[in-house]
Amino acid sequence: MNHRPFEDWLLEDEHLTAQQERDLQMHLRGCTSCSAIAGANLALHLARPAIPADGFTVRFGMRLAEWRRQQRWRQILGTIVLVFGGLTLLYWLTGSVLLTALRSPSGWITAAVGYFVFFLASAHLVTEVSIILLDALQNLIPPGGWLVLSLVFAGLGVVWTVSLRRFTQRSEGV
Amino acid sequence: MEGSSAAVNDEMDWVVQAQNGSDEAFARLVEAYQTHVYNMCYRMLGEPESAEDAAQETFLRAFQHLRRYDQKRPFGTWLLAIAAHYCIDRLRRRKFSSISMDQDEEHGGLELPDADGPNPEIEVVHGEQRQEIQDALSRLESIDRAAIVLRYWHEYSEAEIAETLNLTVSAVKSRLHRARRALAGFWQHEAPRHKLERRPHESPAF
Repeated sequence: MNHRPFEDWLLEDEHLTAQQERDLQMHLRGCTSCSAIAGANLALHLARPAIPADGFTVRFGMRLAEWRRQQRWRQILGTIVLVFGGLTLLYWLTGSVLLTALRSPSGWITAAVGYFVFFLASAHLVTEVSIILLDALQNLIPPGGWLVLSLVFAGLGVVWTVSLRRFTQRSEGV
Repeated sequence: MEGSSAAVNDEMDWVVQAQNGSDEAFARLVEAYQTHVYNMCYRMLGEPESAEDAAQETFLRAFQHLRRYDQKRPFGTWLLAIAAHYCIDRLRRRKFSSISMDQDEEHGGLELPDADGPNPEIEVVHGEQRQEIQDALSRLESIDRAAIVLRYWHEYSEAEIAETLNLTVSAVKSRLHRARRALAGFWQHEAPRHKLERRPHESPAF
């Protein structure tokens, strides 16, 4: 028997029959490369597990307490930054408007009513235009086209959902 | 058999209690798995201080993500997966830094005491073999090293290794094959002092 099957047995970690075991023993006496594989594997099989120093769980408890303390601080700091940042941004965005509004209330009430009327008129206009466009599209696109469009949008939805799932699935073994 | 199923039930109880916020239940899990996780980290990183830190970090990450744990999966496999990925990342970062692995390996790991009692001569030989094993492991690529540790120290099947390291079974086979060949090369050229006699009862193939 040539060298190859013995090397494969050792590298593949195969279970051996008693006869194969005897053949392998014979082969190992004269083959240095197979002896090296067998020797390395045997050393790994015989290696004992490393154990942590006493008090591992207690040290973990301390680490957990420290992590919780840091988390609390982060939350407090985050809240402070968010509140102050939000207030500053709000002041920067609305400060001048508020000051003007407080000086002449009639002016901003008129402006607000104007904006409201403009909004209502715009919404009405958009609805009218949409109805006209939909009527036109209904005549332009055949029923088959609507089916294709629906399928395209459904496909995009599926791709989006699958991508979200893949990105949110566990990473780094967690 | 009944004992092992009772242990699994206990473990699941601890997991559920820990998921519901019980620190005591999580401490029991840490107690039960500390050696598994520490051994994984020690074999991956090669020095006790880093292994301790990595093992603690593994348990902390497990604690932080406990709600994501899928109870259909063995808890030990999930923990070792966290440990393996953390150590692989750490080794990658270490590769880009200037810290030498040789320097790290000057420290020896804490190992289980010899069952036959202290014998200085045997301990010296064991110490040298232990160092040789760490030297040999440190020459492997990090994922190959994790596969070897899971196979030999944790007796995982190829399918379990694949699940733990997010690989396919064929990729695990090829990585184990490559790692065994590399270890044999090291054993043949750099660790000739402690050639071990193969014992006939040892199977598979060793």
